[in-house]
Amino acid sequence: MREHDTIFWIIVRRMRTPLIVLIATMAISILGMVLIPGVDSNGKPYHMNFLDAIYFVTYMASTIGFGEIPYEFTYAQRMWVIFSIFIAVIGWFYAIGALVTLVQDKQLLAEINLARFKRKIKDLKEPFIIILGYNNITKTLINKLNGTKRIVVIDKSQEKIEALELENFIPEVYALSANIDNPEILKLAGIKKRNCKALIVLFNNDFKNTKIALLARLLNERIDLVIKSTTKAQSEHLKNLGIKSIIDPFELIGNRFYLALDAPALWLLEMMFYKHPLKVDTIEVLPRGKYIICGYGRMGQALGKALERANLSFSYIDLKSSQYKQTKQSALFGDKQDYKLLEEAGVKEAVAIVAATKDDLINLTILLTAKKLNPNIYTIARENSIEDITIFQSAKIDRNYILEAITSEYVQLIIHTPLARIFLEEVYRQNEAWGERVVRMLKQRVGDEVEIFELKVSKNKAFALHQFLKNDGKVTLKELSKSLEDRNKEAKIAFLLVKNRKEQVTFLPPQNYEVKVSDTFLIAATKEAKEDFELLVNNINEFHYILTGKDLKFGILKFFSKDENE
Amino acid sequence: MNTQKIISGFFIIMAMTLNFGFFYGDIDKFSHHSPYELFATIVVNLIATILKLGDKTQLGSVLLATSLVADIQLISAAIVWGIALYVMHDVTNSAQIIVSLSGGALMANIVSVILFIGDTLKSKR
Repeated sequence: MREHDTIFWIIVRRMRTPLIVLIATMAISILGMVLIPGVDSNGKPYHMNFLDAIYFVTYMASTIGFGEIPYEFTYAQRMWVIFSIFIAVIGWFYAIGALVTLVQDKQLLAEINLARFKRKIKDLKEPFIIILGYNNITKTLINKLNGTKRIVVIDKSQEKIEALELENFIPEVYALSANIDNPEILKLAGIKKRNCKALIVLFNNDFKNTKIALLARLLNERIDLVIKSTTKAQSEHLKNLGIKSIIDPFELIGNRFYLALDAPALWLLEMMFYKHPLKVDTIEVLPRGKYIICGYGRMGQALGKALERANLSFSYIDLKSSQYKQTKQSALFGDKQDYKLLEEAGVKEAVAIVAATKDDLINLTILLTAKKLNPNIYTIARENSIEDITIFQSAKIDRNYILEAITSEYVQLIIHTPLARIFLEEVYRQNEAWGERVVRMLKQRVGDEVEIFELKVSKNKAFALHQFLKNDGKVTLKELSKSLEDRNKEAKIAFLLVKNRKEQVTFLPPQNYEVKVSDTFLIAATKEAKEDFELLVNNINEFHYILTGKDLKFGILKFFSKDENE
Repeated sequence: MNTQKIISGFFIIMAMTLNFGFFYGDIDKFSHHSPYELFATIVVNLIATILKLGDKTQLGSVLLATSLVADIQLISAAIVWGIALYVMHDVTNSAQIIVSLSGGALMANIVSVILFIGDTLKSKR
C-alpha cells in the first residue's frame, strides 16, 4: 500500500498547479459567458444560463467547437470568447503537457519500478538468492544457478540493470538499481524473507563486502552469506562474524597452484568438483624448477607462498600495471629495459614464468617477451576478465588462471553443494598420501568420470529412506551402495562425507555407518549410479528390493501370488 | 510570512465565507440564494481542494477529506438545480434541497477552517 501512496503523491504534487490553472481559466470563461448579455432569435436581450455556459466553455476549451449556442453570439460575446479561447486552451495544453512530462519523470519511473519490484519480491514463494552487483562473474553465476533457485539482483547502476533485463533470463531474474549500502535496500530485496537462502556479495572492495556482510548478518541470521575477501585480515573479520563461505580468489588460486605443483592427487580431488576426470593429463603437470613471478601483488604473493610450500625456488619482479602504464606511457611490456629486467630475474634458467599483474595486456606481453628469451619456458597467465579469453587462447599460453571464472565456479559449487566447501577445506589440509588413498578408492568404486551431488535424508529428498528410518529401521551405507540391477553387486557410488543433525562432519564414512534422519551426504558417483541412488532412496519398491532382495507386492497382486517365505 | 500559507488560507476561508453567503437566507426563497454565489463557491472550493493535495501528514489528509465532502455536496446542489430548472422545468420544490446541500457543505468548510486555524496556531514558524 505504502509504495502506491508515494506514486500517488508524486502525481498529485506535480499536477497541483496545472489543475488550479485549469479550474481558474474555466471559471473565468464561464462567468464571463453568463454575465455578458446576448441577443436571442427575436432580438431581445438575454443572459446565458450556467448550464449553457458550462456546456459551451467545455467544448470550446477542449477545441471540439460545436458552434454558438443557444443563439448566435453578439460581438461583445465573441470578443469574450476570443479571450476565453486563449486562456482556456493554453490552460488545457499546459495541463496535458504537465501530464506528459510526469509520465517521463525519472523519480516517478523509479518509484513505479520500485513498487513493481516490491510486489514481485512479496509474491516470490520459491527459495531465492540475492546477488549484489551485476558483472561478468555474477552473470555466469546467474546463468548456472537460475532455475534451481530464483535470483534477485541489485546493482547501483541503472545501465547494468537494463543490460540484465535485456538478457531475458527465464525464469525472470528480479533486478533493481539502488544504492546497496543502504540497509533498507537489503530488506527490500527480501533478505528477511523465510525463503531467502543466500546472499552473494562479490565486490572488489573488501571493506564494502565486509560492511554488507555485517548488515546482512544482523538482518537475518539464518541465510548463507557468500562474501568475497582478498586479504587475510578481512577474512579473519568475516570468520568472526560467523560467515563460512568466504571467497578469496587469490587463496583459491594459491591453493590450487600448490596442489598442482606438489600434490597431484589432492589436485584431482579438488578438480573433480569442477567435472575434471580423475586422471592427470601430461599438459596439466606443472614443471618443477625455478619460477619467475612478474607482478607481486596479492596474486603474486599467493603463488609465491605456494611455491615456498612446494620447496621450489623463485624470483619475482615487482611490477605494478598501473604504475607501468603511467611511467612508460604504454600498455605493452617488452622494451629494452624490460628485457634486461627479465634476464636479471633469470629467465634463461627458469622453467616457468607467471604473469600476475592486474592488466591482461601486460600479462600477455610479459609472457610473449619471456618466450622470446627462452622458447622452452612454461607460461602461466593471470587473466582478469573472462572477456579476454580468446586473446589468451590464441597466444598459446600454457596455463591460464581466469580470476573471474574461478571465483564464479567456486561460488556456484558452494551454493549448489554446500558440503563441497567442507570437503575442499579438508583437501587443502590433508597430505598427499591421504589424497592418493581417496583417489584410488574413488577410481576403484566409481571410475574416472565422477559426478558429485548432495543428498539430505529428509521427507522431500529421500522419501523411502526417510520413512524407513522413521519406523525405527536400520540401514548402513553398505546396503545403500548396492546395485539396483542385482543387489549382490555394488553400485558405482562412494560417500565422501556425512554431516549429521548436530552439524558434526565425518569424512569418508565407513561402510558400516548407520544412516540417521537428517544426515546430509556428499556423494561421488557415475551419472547412472546417481540417478539410481536417487530413485532408490525415494522409491519404496526399489528400497524394499535392496533390503530384502524381493520385489514388494502391492495392491491386488498380494492375494494372487504366493511367496514361499510368507 | 509564508506565501504558500497565505494562498491556501485565502482559498480555504474564502470557500467557507462564500458558502455561508449562499446558504444564508430563507430556505425556500430563490431570491435569497444567488446562482452566481453558488458558482463562485464551487470554483473556490475546487481550488482549495487542489491546494490541499500533496500534504502527506495526518492533518493534511483530514483537511483534504473535508474539502472533498464540501465539493461533492456543492456540485450535487448545482446538479439538482440544473435538473430542476432545465429538465423538470419546476424549481419551486427543489429550493430546500439545494440550500440544505450547501448547508452540509458549509459544515465541512467550517471544520476545514477550524483545522486550518488549529494547525496555524500549533506551528512555531
